[in-house]
Amino acid sequence: MSGSEPHAGVVTCPTCELHVRVAEPNDAIEVYRRHGRVTGHDVEWERVALDVTTTSADVGSALADLDDGRPEGVPIGVLAAALSPRGVPIADVLDGLYELRMEGAIYEPTDDHVRVL
Amino acid sequence: MTRWNDGSDEIAAVSPDITDEANALPAEYFTDPSVFEMEKESVFGQYWIYAGHESAIPEAGRYFTRTIGDRQIIVTRDADGDVRAFYNVCAHRGSKMLDDTPMTDPGDLSRITCPYHLWSYELDGTLASTPKSFEEATLNPDIDDDEIPALDPEENGLAEVTTDSIGPLVFVNFAEEPRLSLAEQAGSMKSDLEALPIGDYQLARRYVSEVECNWKTFGSNYSECDHCAANHQDWISGVEIGDSELEVNDYHWILHYKYTEETDDEVRIHEEDEGRFYYFWPNFTFNLYGTADGYGTYYVDPIDEGRIQLVADYYFESTDITDDEAELIRTSRQLQEEDFEIVERQHEGLRTGALGQGHLGPNEHSVHRLHRLAQEAYDA
Repeated sequence: MSGSEPHAGVVTCPTCELHVRVAEPNDAIEVYRRHGRVTGHDVEWERVALDVTTTSADVGSALADLDDGRPEGVPIGVLAAALSPRGVPIADVLDGLYELRMEGAIYEPTDDHVRVL
Repeated sequence: MTRWNDGSDEIAAVSPDITDEANALPAEYFTDPSVFEMEKESVFGQYWIYAGHESAIPEAGRYFTRTIGDRQIIVTRDADGDVRAFYNVCAHRGSKMLDDTPMTDPGDLSRITCPYHLWSYELDGTLASTPKSFEEATLNPDIDDDEIPALDPEENGLAEVTTDSIGPLVFVNFAEEPRLSLAEQAGSMKSDLEALPIGDYQLARRYVSEVECNWKTFGSNYSECDHCAANHQDWISGVEIGDSELEVNDYHWILHYKYTEETDDEVRIHEEDEGRFYYFWPNFTFNLYGTADGYGTYYVDPIDEGRIQLVADYYFESTDITDDEAELIRTSRQLQEEDFEIVERQHEGLRTGALGQGHLGPNEHSVHRLHRLAQEAYDA
């Protein structure tokens, strides 16, 4: 892979010894879903190559930190990457987002991108 | 003869005879997204595709889901004990009904119920019940309740997918009228495997990997062993590759290989003192290792034209595996990782577009068969 290609990091399933380099942050979410579909295992970020941080381990607060007003919203993979160093697994990010959506607290302007209301 | 994309050579269809010039599938069939879209129907929609292992669903109502291309199915056991498969799609308005449920963690239900409007189906797929709102036109003043036609349970049941089995291995075929029965497609592989007690073994481990290559690139690599000496040096040191044979049949081929040292008869599921790797068109393998009492299966699911998900399952007498069984898995995983390296390199080369059509050697007759089958599927 050349240096000019996008690189968001590496995700892993320790049980399967899976390590997948992902180009875009939301590719991590696709791998998470694809792998879980056949194993039930939770894929996690192994290494994040994005410059994203949040001060909170709460999914809603972290999303508020990262929501910079872009109309397409924050990629779920970026949110998960930011929460990863705080010990929040991708599964909990997706569960948290589901609850927030069902409460009407956030919305999804484009597929797998979210914004606070 | 190798054909480069340099304007001087023209690619051609895969020759019936491996000794002819154009004996490999043209490179574009490994890299073109439109080919993969076509294959979803012409390959994965027409041939028998592995769905899973019956042992995961020993009782009525146990189920798992499986995604093949764009199709999603439920594989379950009905009240009569028969394994059946249905599209995971509600007959009412097409909603996906059940959440993804892997074979490694099967679900259990008495009826299949769609969460959208609660249409409910028996395990044989017939419509069992609908909510009262489908029998009473409460919100529609233009219709009297007695004008509402009753829903026929059969006509409004789930769409069933044709299933058949080789022992405990369940296969599905999405064609309305499969061009071949499973027995016809599997040929002698069916009788070979059904002569073995493979139903007595349990799924002990599953490893799922993602690899950056076309599914036929992985399948071609699995199908030959000309690459073994250079790329599987640890494994090959214990194998008499010169005494091996690559047996090619219509829709499956088998690498029979001998170990340098005799193996213990007690640890083999089969009688012959050899290992056997079966490849079953289009994307299933059955692996009799010969060094542990068990077997493995792979299925090679394409994610797109340039990525696969390899699902490797290992079956032993118990899920509590022995040291020998753990060693077999380690060896198998090592072979996989070595293969991943070389198929990713091959795919990277193919993606450059430099090669128009490769050239197969005489001991790659299994690869030639795979390429011929791909071409037949495209031309059908």
